[in-house]
Amino acid sequence: MLSALILIPAIGAALVGLWPGQPNSALLKKVSLAVASVISLWTLYLFAQVDVNAIGAQMTEYLPWVPQLGLSYSLGVDGLSLPLVGLTALLAWIAICSSDRDLQRPRLYYSMILLAIAGINGAFLAQNLLLFILFYELELIPFYLLIAIWGSEQKRSYAATKFLIYTAISGVLVLAGFLGLTWLSGSTSFDISQIDIRNLSESTQLICLLLLVVGFGIKIPLVPLHTWLPDAYVESSPATTVLLGGVLAKLGTYGLLRYGLGLLPDAWGTIAPGLALVGVVSVMYGALTAIAQKDIKRMVAYSSIGHMGYIIVAAAALNPLSLLGSVAQMVSHGLILAILFYLVGVIEKKVGTRDLDKLNGLMSPIRGLPLTSGLLVLAGMASAGIPGMVGFVAEYMVFQGSFTTYPVISLLCILASGLTAVYFVILLNRTCFGRLDNATAYYPAVRFDEHLPGLILTGLIVWLGIQPSWLVKWIEPTTDAMIAAIPTVNQPVAIAPTKPAMKAPAID
Amino acid sequence: MVQTPIKPDTAPKIPPSQHEFAEVIHRLEAGGAMLPDTPENLMQIIGIYKAYAVPMDFYWRDLLYIAEEVFLNPFPFFKYFLPQKYLDLPNHYAGDTADLRIWRGIATAHPELLEFMSKGETIKMPKLFHHLWHDRVNMEFAEACMQAMLWHRKMYAGVNRFDDFLNTEEYRQNCDRAIKAYFKGNPVMLGMYKLFPEAFVEQCRMMSYYSNLGLFWEIMAPVFFEMSDIYDEGGFKGVPDAMNFLINGIFAISGRPIYHRVNIRGEWFDLVPKDKGFMWLYDAALPYVEAVFYRTAPFRGTKSYNAQAGQVPSEQADFHYGILYADVFPVGTAGIPPTQLMQDMLHFLPQYLLDYYHQHCRGEDDMLIQLGITFQRSMYCVTSAVIQALRAALLYPLDDENPEHLMANRKFFEAQMDRFKRPEARLRDIQNRDYR
Repeated sequence: MLSALILIPAIGAALVGLWPGQPNSALLKKVSLAVASVISLWTLYLFAQVDVNAIGAQMTEYLPWVPQLGLSYSLGVDGLSLPLVGLTALLAWIAICSSDRDLQRPRLYYSMILLAIAGINGAFLAQNLLLFILFYELELIPFYLLIAIWGSEQKRSYAATKFLIYTAISGVLVLAGFLGLTWLSGSTSFDISQIDIRNLSESTQLICLLLLVVGFGIKIPLVPLHTWLPDAYVESSPATTVLLGGVLAKLGTYGLLRYGLGLLPDAWGTIAPGLALVGVVSVMYGALTAIAQKDIKRMVAYSSIGHMGYIIVAAAALNPLSLLGSVAQMVSHGLILAILFYLVGVIEKKVGTRDLDKLNGLMSPIRGLPLTSGLLVLAGMASAGIPGMVGFVAEYMVFQGSFTTYPVISLLCILASGLTAVYFVILLNRTCFGRLDNATAYYPAVRFDEHLPGLILTGLIVWLGIQPSWLVKWIEPTTDAMIAAIPTVNQPVAIAPTKPAMKAPAID
Repeated sequence: MVQTPIKPDTAPKIPPSQHEFAEVIHRLEAGGAMLPDTPENLMQIIGIYKAYAVPMDFYWRDLLYIAEEVFLNPFPFFKYFLPQKYLDLPNHYAGDTADLRIWRGIATAHPELLEFMSKGETIKMPKLFHHLWHDRVNMEFAEACMQAMLWHRKMYAGVNRFDDFLNTEEYRQNCDRAIKAYFKGNPVMLGMYKLFPEAFVEQCRMMSYYSNLGLFWEIMAPVFFEMSDIYDEGGFKGVPDAMNFLINGIFAISGRPIYHRVNIRGEWFDLVPKDKGFMWLYDAALPYVEAVFYRTAPFRGTKSYNAQAGQVPSEQADFHYGILYADVFPVGTAGIPPTQLMQDMLHFLPQYLLDYYHQHCRGEDDMLIQLGITFQRSMYCVTSAVIQALRAALLYPLDDENPEHLMANRKFFEAQMDRFKRPEARLRDIQNRDYR
């Protein structure tokens, strides 16, 4: 069942790549969209089949692959990976839907998108360390090509190469961490369930964890390992950026939680204060740098660095609420970043610029992009954590959960949340409000199919904001179990939510 | 080498203008308009004149109705409910009963207007529902134009004697009679009049401007209808032809009396008597063009002007918020830009203009802006006619042989064009056919 999430996009990639004749871009887009729709439907079915309260991997699939190496085809899903698989399915559909109808080399383009989806799904579902690495590395190739071929004219080769080098190093470090973890612990298999760290000394655990932190830290990315991100995000096409920011970066945070916290909880406890510090530095750096940007896409890219920092701070705080907030923030950030990059892409396509000094008055109802501007305002509010949207739910859990453990850091995070409002006010004020320039405002209208991805994402952002249980109910049992598995951690949250003691009066 | 002799009658008698808008000035000197002479421009301006004239047929009738019948009603809730009497009021310049027949059509309300009034954009329903649903002619636009004239009083002082008269004792006495007659048997309002006489007289001045503008537009509506008919018959060959029709019209009717009278219980009271000799050209048309085309007001819906930050000039003479400077993006009122009028015109566009708009920009979706810019072009044409009429009245013919006279004309044109040097002026834009 889980294999389908890897096989469908992989077969779809082959189908698109080997489609007979000379299919045009529109046809291949439709085929890819159909494949993405099947993935989405299958993912929905998966959500329906999963036991929400179960702990540990479900729907596991196991095939010995190369037993001599300890490599097995082992898949499973739990509350940590399920929301991210759902996010991947959604953003895959959004990315394909938002791709240009008349782009060049569509056969390769859509194959690469679908292959990337297969790789990302494989990495989220893998229950074997080597299998994870395989998928983790596999998605590098399509993303490299997506940036290098369909990126912007200016610096796409530079950005793609930088992305490749950084993330390849990330893969090497993670692999080194996994090898150390497995071999030094005496395990004969790379299956997660077979890893027993009791044989590892504290210092060895620490070294392995540091390798993982740096490796995954590049992918997230954490400051100061982030320099590939602005270039890669800015130079990519909007569809690629949606996937890069929405799901690929989540592989880093997912890897940290799954393998760092999950396999090395004691060492995690040791480095947690340092991690929280790195997290808050990322948060502040991202927010302050975003304020200084003149390019709206670069501004959103830096905001991403900041918001990924929340995930790390919450994960370092090590309590049930903070960890729940950490995973919820992954989903929230994926949705919000995707809509932001998508809308920025629409603006760039229609207006022809991303320069804050040139953009103005797009809220103008007839000649502007009023609906796009409206959605951008909403996305900015969601990113700034305005109540009623998913950003608020996730950030509130992060702040409340981490406040007990790291009050100062949490307060700085809250301050950075305010700074998010600052740069989004700058962005919205200059982009959407003010006077539209008479001389240049001959922008093409945004078609309904171009609005559709934004509307879907907005719907989800608002729906999960007013009904957060639909987000947290999948995650909570797993994150609770992860915290419960850490014997040294037993700290209450600042204001622990309790069940109401009062009984409702009987109505006669 | 043989040099081709320059024919004396084609040789320029004065050197070329060095003005920023030299090309436009040379065009004006050749009898043209500020708007370039292209078939596309001609089609646009005539089409929009027709679309403008239909709501204008409502405006002038309702302006006169308010000035003459509603008058000082403290609760004028139904001032836009034009009674049949005013719908049937014969236009003095159209139909068989005309004093001077400009339009060959009927003297009563235009059929397209009547059809729209009964159905609006929605369905046939009682007038009250059309009014409340705002599915009607935007009379607020006409009132905003009147307010602009009232706001920018003393236009063309010396020439415009109508405005001077509103400050005379004679006018005050006329108002006093009318006010007392209007509020006869209403001690509350008469008491208020005793307490605040200036407020009531000022209201009367406003009513006199209602009448002034109504009488002005009573002429413009048949002029525009006739232009549309002539164009449909293939009569105009270019923009100068259309402009010359306007100039000739202006002179033909320049002497039309401007007055204000009030009907109080069947008795007519003159506030501004006809025999004062106030004339259409000097006491209505010129003040109107200056106040509405150039100046108007930076009021609600235009854009976020910040008076405290000095964004609004302290002198009204420095106001430049009229259609000649209008931003193309509609947000409200009669100033920048005349959104309400644009919406009114949208209902009465001729088919050829609808087809034209469908071919450009966002087609149906931004027709309001496209027609707004067409209107701006057409008003540059009307302003050109006014400038040429002023030149003809005050200076010399365009074919004058005397270079000094031609230079005087040149200076006049250059002074007029100086007003369009401001960055927000659209004279530069309308030279470009892609400005839509």
